[in-house]
Amino acid sequence: MISLTSYAFVSMMLFSIGVIGVVARRNIFVIYMSIEMMLNGINLFLVTFARYHFNMDPQVITIMVISIAAAEAAIFLSVIILLYRSRKSLDTDIFTTLTQGEKS
Amino acid sequence: MIDILFIALAFLAISGAIAMIVYANPMYSALGVLISMLSVAGMFALLNATFLFLVQIIVYAGAIMTLILFILMFLNIKEEDLPKEPNKFKLITIGAIVMVPLNVLILKAVSKLPAKDLTISNTDFGQIKPIGLELYNNWIIAFELISILLLVALIGSVVLAQKRKSKINNKGEQL
Repeated sequence: MISLTSYAFVSMMLFSIGVIGVVARRNIFVIYMSIEMMLNGINLFLVTFARYHFNMDPQVITIMVISIAAAEAAIFLSVIILLYRSRKSLDTDIFTTLTQGEKS
Repeated sequence: MIDILFIALAFLAISGAIAMIVYANPMYSALGVLISMLSVAGMFALLNATFLFLVQIIVYAGAIMTLILFILMFLNIKEEDLPKEPNKFKLITIGAIVMVPLNVLILKAVSKLPAKDLTISNTDFGQIKPIGLELYNNWIIAFELISILLLVALIGSVVLAQKRKSKINNKGEQL
């Protein structure tokens, strides 16, 4: 039988890998995907406890999280396209100054 | 049977996530994330959340990751455009060591909880009708706010994607 701890282990692993990806990588796409991975880990945790307590509220919160992630994807990817067009790079260190006039 | 399924899904989820932070090419990272998200969808199915299983596959794997893959192909990123990451594995090791105490704390707290049956039940728990009733009865304000947020995201992406008059000439001077 699968215990609660094994589900919690998987979701905490996903969350931790997301945090490590945000900290360690410099590619802006990988940072975005790491944020998605953190949201995924939290979703798994919420759904596990929804089943554990036999309560529907965490699943509704999970739907909210997924829709916020969808809204985030639209904005984030259009910002990435703008930044890539002006700087020709995916490095987050170059994006530290976001003014348009400065030459990189 | 269910145990083997769970172990396979957990292995795929974690290995997809590890592939995401290890590969230098963002295309391989996106495919790793796709595998991981589909495995998490399978875990939702094991946890009796059938509607969320559908939503995870449609929205995450179908919409968000496809959008990311589309934009990766659209930008046509060359190998030399990728940022140089000389001490990537050192930073990953340091991050893993930093994240250990939080994991140990949470897992210890969770393992102290009384054990309950987490197998698939035959009730209508997690199906679309109870979720809809819950969403429209108790979470109606949050639902409306989410709809406003999605509208703002739509308008924002249209505004960001429009053609604008450049305020710089091609010598890099401000006009």
